[in-house]
Amino acid sequence: MSYYDIDAILTDAEKIPCTFQIDVPDLGYLDNQPGHTLKSGSRVALPIWLAEMLAIANTGAVDMDDPSQSSKSFITFDLPQALGNDVVQALKADPRSVPLRDQSAHFYALATHMMELSEEPELSAVLRKTFVSRAAEIVLHARKVGGGGSSYHGRDGGGAGGKGKGKATKDDNASNLGVGGAGEDFLRGLDEWERKLFRSAHDGTKASKEWMENVKKR
Amino acid sequence: MALPLPPGLTQNEVAFLAEMEMVTVVPRQRLDSIDLLGGKTPQLRPPHRAQLPLWLALLLKKQRRANIVPPAWMHPASLAEIIHRETKEDPEAFSPPPPPPSRALYSQPGTARRLNPSYLDDFTQTQQDSQQDPNSILSSPFLPSNVAESPAGYLPYHWLEVAEALLTHAGDDMPAPAGEVRSLLRDLVEVRAAKMRSSTSALEGFGDAYLTLRGVGAMELAENRAFLAGLVDGVRKIGASAEATRREEEEEARRGGDYGGDGDDDSDEDMGL
Repeated sequence: MSYYDIDAILTDAEKIPCTFQIDVPDLGYLDNQPGHTLKSGSRVALPIWLAEMLAIANTGAVDMDDPSQSSKSFITFDLPQALGNDVVQALKADPRSVPLRDQSAHFYALATHMMELSEEPELSAVLRKTFVSRAAEIVLHARKVGGGGSSYHGRDGGGAGGKGKGKATKDDNASNLGVGGAGEDFLRGLDEWERKLFRSAHDGTKASKEWMENVKKR
Repeated sequence: MALPLPPGLTQNEVAFLAEMEMVTVVPRQRLDSIDLLGGKTPQLRPPHRAQLPLWLALLLKKQRRANIVPPAWMHPASLAEIIHRETKEDPEAFSPPPPPPSRALYSQPGTARRLNPSYLDDFTQTQQDSQQDPNSILSSPFLPSNVAESPAGYLPYHWLEVAEALLTHAGDDMPAPAGEVRSLLRDLVEVRAAKMRSSTSALEGFGDAYLTLRGVGAMELAENRAFLAGLVDGVRKIGASAEATRREEEEEARRGGDYGGDGDDDSDEDMGL
């Protein structure tokens, strides 16, 4: 992820649960004990950018007399709750009904970053399937919101009964403030990657519609 | 500030490029050959038909100096057949593009060879050698896919743009009421859009996955380009770390002196086709 990318910065600000492996004097305030030493084994939530650095670096201290105490990392971390087991099981069951934004606004970016740090083959497979199936749903809603309704022969049922209200983008002139429904909930639960997909699908549909209508004016 | 346009061409740009396609025209007045950058336009001597670029045909039509002959694939029967093929016979892939133009090869009876009689070429040169002409052009808009002789039952690359332009400006030249053709076109647009949406499900499985976009038209591409690129990029990012691990393991296996097995099978050149 690039250094200046806003989404990358925001993703790295998400916190993950970490366990300290060593005693750290004067950091007790992290564990609600100001003034005391932070004991080894205490669990604290740290942002990824910090946890990453601490987990990869090791103390560098090699104890010659006792090799079993040789350099270990400052902390170990676990997956955040957004990527926890119950979320994964829910995604396996029905990817389209899980509101990813409630777990984390940068769900996929977060997951990708965590997968870079530790091996998670099951997560990778589940996420790929989730992403693709939700993307199919997204493009369906984008077409509905983009006003693709007049000669719609209902080839695919779609998620919502009526037209779902899309999120307010900067250029959302296709004001379909129609009846919300399951569609609106789905669109509200999209994370950042999916919102970008929705925007691009919506823009494409809108531009096509405009072109079709403007053909007569040439 | 970054350019707000999506990657690739916009719909208006695609429509502009589509006006380079050749169409058949029935002139109503004499017109001499015009010297254009791409070559000379043919002399217009009514009532003989001639092939002109679409933009020129539309101009003459507006000035009432010519009528445009719609290509055969725009006939309602042809469109209905294409719709039938898209929905019933092959709901997964798009209908195939028109075959490239070909002529019989007299030196070897029973075979044909490709030829591309664009208005740039000299007709005589194509009769000489029996091998395929190495310079034959196979991409629109240099394929003659919208002239009157184009085969029916196939949708060329610029089908939507050309069809809309002809319906709007030359609606009276259509063999059937413009409304009927237009409604069939709208149906076709919806069917193919739905197909494009559902084709993304091929990416769900693990491993190399690809989407076949053979037969997709220019306007459909312009509409879906940003979305499909974003989707495939997202899938790539999700699998990036697993991919990196797999590559490292392969490198180790290869460096470990073990030359058997799948050293070259899963290389980058292998696209899974």
